[in-house]
Amino acid sequence: MKKTKQWFKNLRNNFHFNSKKEIVDFFVRLVFLISTIISASFIIIIIAFIAREGIKPFVTDNNGLGAVNLFRFLSGRVWLTGTTFQSNLYSVGFIIINTLYVALLSLLISMPIGVLTALFIAKIAPKKLSSIMRTVIELLAAIPSIVYGLFGAGVILPFVYNFAKTLGIQSPGGNSVLATVVVLSLMILPTITALSEVAIRSVGKDIEHGSLALGATKTQTHFKVILTSAKSGIFSAAILGIGRALGEATAVSLVAGNAQNGPSFGIFQTTSTLTSTMLQGLKETIGLDYDIRFSVGIVLMIVILITNMVLNYVKKKVGNVNVK
Amino acid sequence: MKKIILLLVILLSGSLVACSSNDDWDSSKNITLYTRDTSSGTRAGFMEGIGFSDAAEDNSLLAEGYVIKDNTGILTSMKTDEYGIGYISLASLNENVKGLQFDGVDPTIANVVNNTYGLKRPFNYVIRSLDDFANETEKNITLAFVAFLHTSDGADIITNEGAIPLTSNSTWDDIKGNYEVCNQDNSAVTIKFGGSDSIEKIALALTEAFAPKCGNFTPEHDHTGSSDGFKRTQGSEKDGVNYKHVGFASRPFKDTETGSEGTQGQLAWDAIVAIVHLNNEVTNVTAEDLKKIYSGEYATWEQLIG
Repeated sequence: MKKTKQWFKNLRNNFHFNSKKEIVDFFVRLVFLISTIISASFIIIIIAFIAREGIKPFVTDNNGLGAVNLFRFLSGRVWLTGTTFQSNLYSVGFIIINTLYVALLSLLISMPIGVLTALFIAKIAPKKLSSIMRTVIELLAAIPSIVYGLFGAGVILPFVYNFAKTLGIQSPGGNSVLATVVVLSLMILPTITALSEVAIRSVGKDIEHGSLALGATKTQTHFKVILTSAKSGIFSAAILGIGRALGEATAVSLVAGNAQNGPSFGIFQTTSTLTSTMLQGLKETIGLDYDIRFSVGIVLMIVILITNMVLNYVKKKVGNVNVK
Repeated sequence: MKKIILLLVILLSGSLVACSSNDDWDSSKNITLYTRDTSSGTRAGFMEGIGFSDAAEDNSLLAEGYVIKDNTGILTSMKTDEYGIGYISLASLNENVKGLQFDGVDPTIANVVNNTYGLKRPFNYVIRSLDDFANETEKNITLAFVAFLHTSDGADIITNEGAIPLTSNSTWDDIKGNYEVCNQDNSAVTIKFGGSDSIEKIALALTEAFAPKCGNFTPEHDHTGSSDGFKRTQGSEKDGVNYKHVGFASRPFKDTETGSEGTQGQLAWDAIVAIVHLNNEVTNVTAEDLKKIYSGEYATWEQLIG
């Protein structure tokens, strides 16, 4: 805080320019300040807008439907009881659980694969192969989510449907927790791989050499020394990955089946997430049924915030080992 | 490590078996329902058509385990799910799925236009009585708009929006000579459209295309429901603040909604078709069958076939 005040003081004092150089320097710093203010203020504007719209269903009487009960909203097990446009009995309780459940399952699948891929690219693969693989991973990260969604609807849904059939289970067209988790895992895999790779690369060579000098094999060194040293960075990868999984809407809504009640824990059950619920019928609906989606948006932001805080706390707990 | 590889091999071979097995369709399986979400106009039309209007906006009346998808989603799901049933607008039906006959009539556009296919609803319009316009300009623009509805230009727009237009054999260019009002500058004139909200998208597309062809008049849309279509043009609210020049109704006009001669007509059909997987043995359904399926009375395909 003190330093910030000092910075602004300096900025003010610099109004007496001694040379042209100082004027240019002053304006360049001003440009930086303005661009920071612009980007920061947009976040505030967005949050204020979502909050204003999202709180409305709970405090106004919604054109005669009556205010939505907040406790019921956060704990219920059916999205909407009664007729759309004539009922205010909305609930997202089960959807919060669904969202966290599919996000955690996706993380569980893509974490080991992503970290092992990162280890391979950073330490094991020959230089040429590793640079090719890195490009491939970067390309995967750049694929838009709708493409993942179309892939999910066209390839993963039939696969899950047939997989369930071999197990003797009749799946609703493959729309399920499993399909959602597979699509989300694919989507967050590149994020986790790319960030883990950076973390693994930044582990000091001296630690690695020390381990090898003590007689450990390369594999022992990779798992017991490098991965443990990079765990803080790998945790950051997980945080970003789960953020993407929680916030993904388009792809999920194409494969989840949009269950209206729950929670759904069986892997062949249809499910729904906060984002897919927001998206459902968004373009055609009006009134409370529209406004309530902003409330779901607030819930989603809070869920992401809490998840990130918990993971950050865990990250601090697991600590850090001599990483450059 | 060995265990993991073994597991992967088992999973992979399992899925290969799944892809290659193509056993017969089994009617003892449960029916999986696919539906649009409650804000969909297709859902409203379908539920009305099968006599289950209450379920148009209420999911709790549907049988358990339904899947909510959009038009394309239902269409692609029916390629995979052998035991599913869904409904789509007839215009998007293709050969990858089986469109069910309704009361024994094939779901084709020809059968919709000749009025034999039953699972459909008319899109109707009504204008003010010809002697009840504020001035000649408003009346002539309204009449030109109605004429435009029946041209092939209008039909193209209706088709683009997923409905089925009635047959038309003239283009706007052929008939525009009859409507001199369209040659003058109408930018100060506002024409009000209202009535059915299911027709709102089509009406918007039509006026957007037609206004530049007719002196850039200003179209104003306020769609509140079919019953307001007649009420606000020739009924009790025709002189109120919400009066309209053109009203729409997504159902036949009732006996109490008969207007003066030459003011009412149909612009299109909204036809919906129930679809199933190609392997499904069912070929024909009735409104009652569909209602029993969607309300959960029929849980398996056996019960439907009987």
